[in-house]
Amino acid sequence: MVAPRPTALGRARRALGPAFWLLGLLVPVLLGGSWISILAIFAIYAIVALSQDIVLGRAGMYDMGHAVYFGVGAYVTAILNTRLGWPIFATWPIAIVVAALVGVVLSAGIVKLRGDYLLVATIGFNIIFVLALGNNVADVTGGPDGIFGIGVPQLFGTALSSQGALFYLDWLALAAVLLLMRNLERSRIGRVFRYLKEDELAATTLGIDARYYKILAFAIGAGVAGAAGTLFAVQLASVSPGSFVFTESVTLFAIVLVGGQASIPGVLLGTALMFVVPQVFRGLAQYRYFAFGIAMIVVMVLRPQGIWPRGRAR
Amino acid sequence: MDVVLQQFINGVTVGGFYALIALGYTMVYGVLKLINFAHGDLCILAAFIGLTVLTSGLGGANAGALLLAAAFIVAAVAVGIAGAVLEFTAYRPLRKAHRLSAVVSALGASMLIENGIMLIWSPQVQVFPANLLPDLTWKIGSASISFVQVMIIAGSLILMAALYFYVHHTRFGTAIRAAAIDQDAARLMGINVNRVIASVFVVGPALGAVGGLFVGLYYREAYFNMGWIYGLNAFIAAIIGGIGNIPGAMLGGLLLGLFNAFAAGYVSSSWQEAITFALLIAILLVRPTGILGERVAEKI
Amino acid sequence: MTSARAGGPLLELDGISISFGGLRAVDDLSFRVTEGEIKGLIGPNGAGKTTVFNMITGVYRPDEGGIRFDGEEITGQAPHRVARHGILRTFQTIRLFAGMTVLENVLAGQHLRTRQTWWQSLLGTPGQRREERALVERTMETLQHLDLAGVAHEVATSLPYGVQRRVELARTLVAGPKLLILDEPAAGLNDRESAALNDTITSIRDGGVTILLVEHDMNVVMNVTDSIVVINFGKKIAEGGPAEIQRDPAVIEAYLGQDDEEAAA
Repeated sequence: MVAPRPTALGRARRALGPAFWLLGLLVPVLLGGSWISILAIFAIYAIVALSQDIVLGRAGMYDMGHAVYFGVGAYVTAILNTRLGWPIFATWPIAIVVAALVGVVLSAGIVKLRGDYLLVATIGFNIIFVLALGNNVADVTGGPDGIFGIGVPQLFGTALSSQGALFYLDWLALAAVLLLMRNLERSRIGRVFRYLKEDELAATTLGIDARYYKILAFAIGAGVAGAAGTLFAVQLASVSPGSFVFTESVTLFAIVLVGGQASIPGVLLGTALMFVVPQVFRGLAQYRYFAFGIAMIVVMVLRPQGIWPRGRAR
Repeated sequence: MDVVLQQFINGVTVGGFYALIALGYTMVYGVLKLINFAHGDLCILAAFIGLTVLTSGLGGANAGALLLAAAFIVAAVAVGIAGAVLEFTAYRPLRKAHRLSAVVSALGASMLIENGIMLIWSPQVQVFPANLLPDLTWKIGSASISFVQVMIIAGSLILMAALYFYVHHTRFGTAIRAAAIDQDAARLMGINVNRVIASVFVVGPALGAVGGLFVGLYYREAYFNMGWIYGLNAFIAAIIGGIGNIPGAMLGGLLLGLFNAFAAGYVSSSWQEAITFALLIAILLVRPTGILGERVAEKI
Repeated sequence: MTSARAGGPLLELDGISISFGGLRAVDDLSFRVTEGEIKGLIGPNGAGKTTVFNMITGVYRPDEGGIRFDGEEITGQAPHRVARHGILRTFQTIRLFAGMTVLENVLAGQHLRTRQTWWQSLLGTPGQRREERALVERTMETLQHLDLAGVAHEVATSLPYGVQRRVELARTLVAGPKLLILDEPAAGLNDRESAALNDTITSIRDGGVTILLVEHDMNVVMNVTDSIVVINFGKKIAEGGPAEIQRDPAVIEAYLGQDDEEAAA
């Protein structure tokens, strides 16, 4: 966003992000084993959560079916790689484009709807999507067990097969998405999304074509989620409908709200919490989700604007 | 022809409890413009409570109708109270905040109730014993209608009529309708909007509780995460009829029940869910305000 | 088709009507706004003035009649297309974007003059960044003219009412409008501020913008407009210069029961 001359505090705050990312690079070196895959999954989900934030936190549309685009990307990679033998990196742009197109098609009809109706429509899309996957539509989606045996990406002839290599891939992808989000903020479309979220009518009287930009928000959000989908498929070496069910969309939705709408640190924190907290509560065994439900209510009541709301870097 | 009649009977039965559950959604949405995602779970909670009462052995072997009535009353009252507590703790503090904060709170509440049920009762499916209700069926042509179906249809109709009367012919009911149209104006007219909202959160869940217990008695089972699917379906029913619109919820419930019953005959159950949602999306695209139109609080 | 260049009207309303439910809000209304003039639209509360504006700017579609701008038919076009023709507006209730600074708000007005594509934005290309800098510069110039440069980085909705009005005005001006529609620009302003508003409006017109305004404050209306249309119950009841309108018996009657001060101003 357009900001005044940064203060020393502002500069320090802005250095936090890159610092945290650089620190992450040391993870395979300093920590080991399970931490690597935990953080790899974190990076992937962080990307999806950021993409959810584009549609929900920034453009203000109640998208509760975002897991669809994540799933589209994952399945495109899975199908192209296992059925047609495509190398992973070749499937990646296809996954992104197909996911974005699905975003355009699904959103085109519903962006005119009022918030809550749009929400319910996106839930509907999610449920239909998962059912279609489970029913082995067009005989490519592999039914309820999904698709196995997804390969690893090849870079200049070397297979990125180790956990460490995959982690770096995911971490670099996260950096790319963070850069993309930053560019978004400092550009016209970033502003337009905010204008539409705050006051669509006023925005249209200034010449903003609301429908175009709303669909664009979905397209970009879907494309980024699709990119994460590819990484996810590679990480698990398999895909199945269960990873993209409606409750995943609910989680993504909650991450943005609990972390802080349109706040990059907030969304990252939200993603971490949605992961870490169940792990922390693991000791509580079956009380886990009960406690989680309470936690969600408490956080929202105490801090409705989110834990780390969007602030001004002054 | 008889198949059609049978499916009609089944559809009206299912429509009955969907309507009762849908009413809870629609009343809350009408007044607060909030989708109470925890509502479905509250209704299913009633099924568990009812089951506990019915299998408690109270009143001895011949408790019959009295025990049945007690189950309904206890479930409805308990869930009604739970609804009021829910509103007070999870939603009222967020009235001034961004709408979505309340949605997330609702999602948390849903998780809480579901898992609470799991912890208190069991993660296993709970079966309703066979002898809870008289094993009677009647014939209509070559279709048949069972006792539980008659109970559900009659019970739903009676409750819906009672609600309609209450909302349209009592002062408090008028207050509810006023608050649904314009909360601020209602407040200025001296209506205690907080009390209206609290009561909506008692009546809505109480009705839904009866619906939830009907679900349990009809399918003779209950499992802790049933709330989602029945809740979502009931919400679709409310939208189809027109959200915030009480007759709309009744109509929507009935239509959804009929649709489910007829679709079951021709389509496999795994696609049924998809078709229900496709129907919803079609309605949203063509007539989002529902068949009878929406009636919600207008926030300027 | 007459064009504004030939001295014809810039904006033409031709027999437009609209009903809401059973209520006929605007009834067979016709008037013209000539290029370069400041036209007032007045009438008692509830006369339908904002509804007329909403129809011109595409928020509502008239049930009957046509609207032409610079010779082109614009009836029923969506608001963003109307804006593209060069018609910009302010709102009775001030619609600034909450949580955003004055600069960010006014930048919104530059939307139609921005070239960067979505992918250039996402990639942050040098061309896109250059355009961003230029946009900010241009916007700061306008803010300077309206004495808003000092508050450029304040949250717009936290500022005093009169300042917010100027911000909303600045937002429309950066778009370089041909026709500016002002909906009660003096509402909530004190005498000193309305006098300053008069000067601002006149200088905007002198800068080549045609203005159509709705206003209740007769100090503004009578001193600044070139001609006035008076409506009541959605119908035109008088049209003419300020002096004529003040003496028109139909106008005076329409305002009886309103504030006496306003009618006699």
